[in-house]
Amino acid sequence: MSDMQVVQNDPPPRPMVQRLGAILWPSFFAAAVANAVFFAHIDPLVLREMTFPDLPLTRELGYTLGFFAFWACTASSSWFTWILLRPTCRFNQPLPPEH
Amino acid sequence: MSKEIPVEVISENSLYKSEGKVYPREVNGRFTRLRNLAVFALLGIYYFFPWLRWDGRQAVLFDLPARKFYIFGFNFWPQDFIFLALLLILAGLSLFFFTALAGRLWCGYACPQTVWTEVYVWMERWFEGDRPKQMKLDAAPWNKDKILRKGGKYLTWGFFSLWTGFTFVGFFTPITDLGARLISLSWGGWETFWVLFYSLATWGNAGVLREQVCKYMCPYARFQSAMFDRNTLIISYDPARGEPRGPRKRGLGSVLERARGLLSNEAANAAVIKAAHENAAGNAKVHARATTALAVDTLDDSSAPVVRSNEDLGDCIDCTICVQVCPVGIDIRNGLQYECIACGACIDACDEVMDKMGYPRGLVRYTTQNAVDHKGTKVLRPRIIVYGLLLTAIFVGWMWGVMHRQEFIIDVLRDRNALYRTLDDGDIENSYTVKLINKLPKAAKYSITLIDAEGISLVEAPLEVSTSPEEVVNLSITLHAEAGTIKGRRDVILRVQNLDAEGTSRDHKTSFFAPVQ
Repeated sequence: MSDMQVVQNDPPPRPMVQRLGAILWPSFFAAAVANAVFFAHIDPLVLREMTFPDLPLTRELGYTLGFFAFWACTASSSWFTWILLRPTCRFNQPLPPEH
Repeated sequence: MSKEIPVEVISENSLYKSEGKVYPREVNGRFTRLRNLAVFALLGIYYFFPWLRWDGRQAVLFDLPARKFYIFGFNFWPQDFIFLALLLILAGLSLFFFTALAGRLWCGYACPQTVWTEVYVWMERWFEGDRPKQMKLDAAPWNKDKILRKGGKYLTWGFFSLWTGFTFVGFFTPITDLGARLISLSWGGWETFWVLFYSLATWGNAGVLREQVCKYMCPYARFQSAMFDRNTLIISYDPARGEPRGPRKRGLGSVLERARGLLSNEAANAAVIKAAHENAAGNAKVHARATTALAVDTLDDSSAPVVRSNEDLGDCIDCTICVQVCPVGIDIRNGLQYECIACGACIDACDEVMDKMGYPRGLVRYTTQNAVDHKGTKVLRPRIIVYGLLLTAIFVGWMWGVMHRQEFIIDVLRDRNALYRTLDDGDIENSYTVKLINKLPKAAKYSITLIDAEGISLVEAPLEVSTSPEEVVNLSITLHAEAGTIKGRRDVILRVQNLDAEGTSRDHKTSFFAPVQ
């Protein structure tokens, strides 16, 4: 039983593409929605006036920056969820040897 | 001495099975005293600070409606957000530094989750008694005694939770006023909501979820091991001394005094694995889960020493008290585990048992992996030095920054509707809104002058502004240029000078526009 337990508790890691996809894709989608809703109500040029009125920032740049800011937030959250869902045995490894 | 711990078997793989309750046994000793001290100091700060006064106001007040934070003699504005950001970076770095140096000090002594859980466990013990009594009570059918004990506990928890929620809101709205308005039941909707919400969260986290927050919700628990190396202070069982574990008759001396001596690292590890396997195979006790560092490291227990007589036994009498006192319900003898919050309860428990047996203390102790493996421990490592230097630099920078904050803020916004205005005589005017914020808690007088602007003049000159303490003043000003003197864009500088303090002045650059032709 004990050996079975160990095997069951230590599933092999999923492929990197799957892991990245599961983190980046839902967050991309959420960021797109948040971005659309946010900028439907707020003009990027108004934000420019409030922050860097002297810089030649365009609406397109505003939308782009906004999207990546949203994506950074949502991807961080997805990434955190992934860390919390990892099996405990991934964390209960021996300390690395000294070189 | 060796009593089975009655535990429920929980398969790690059944997703829908709820976690079995951990009943930490009461323990006394050095680290328990230290932890209690931390509880009183930290919760003392939390419950006491909102009641302190400073210069006629609440000493620590995060006044969100007014967008100002007061911390003793300091007041912070939204424009000072950088200091909050730096403070968080500082907190993160200290966590790195102290983790690399001494392990999870934060978890064991300072984390609000640990601290409040500790208090809720105390209250639970007042009503339900220690571990065995609590387990018996939970298993017993509902009767008058059980209702009274449980009712008393929940009532106390409820009161304490509400007081916690009240204190929390008291950091954001003046607490004396909040208390006074409680009597007349005239709290605002949001005040009521946040008091109740924070109370509920405290009850849920400290009364119900407890160690599950650390195990399944805490990000730090997941990444703290990245800061660990073999020189980090950890709480560890000494398998070379303790194994093979087992009950024995009184009179057998410690291995430190016997011919057997310490085991080799290999034999000790194999013995731990064997013990974990025996427990798992025998009665599948959850405390012997094979999720530990050692079991993953090597599952081979063939080199485990065989016990032929008492003389072969190590110092661990397998009383399992170290498991019973553990607030997260792990067996420290299985090695370093991410679930361990380094509270030191198992050290105190084992020391007490060693004292009773007449063995030297320290079978479970604060040590390093290198020391357990009989190698030298190195405290000053590159990462300690790098974290330490970064921490010092940012801390000094932060202190300097807070002490040398600007006393006022000047912001100039151009009129958004028109770039310029042409008067009847052909002269050009530009309009601006000047936002002047006196950040100090005292009145101040400022002058605004135009410098470095040939051909342009300030219509309102000489302009002097008086502000009351912490006042935000919005001024409309106009810059004027004679017809034809300025073409296109010209940078101008507005200088604001604090007339009460010699030498405090700030310049703000803005633009003046005139027709190009």
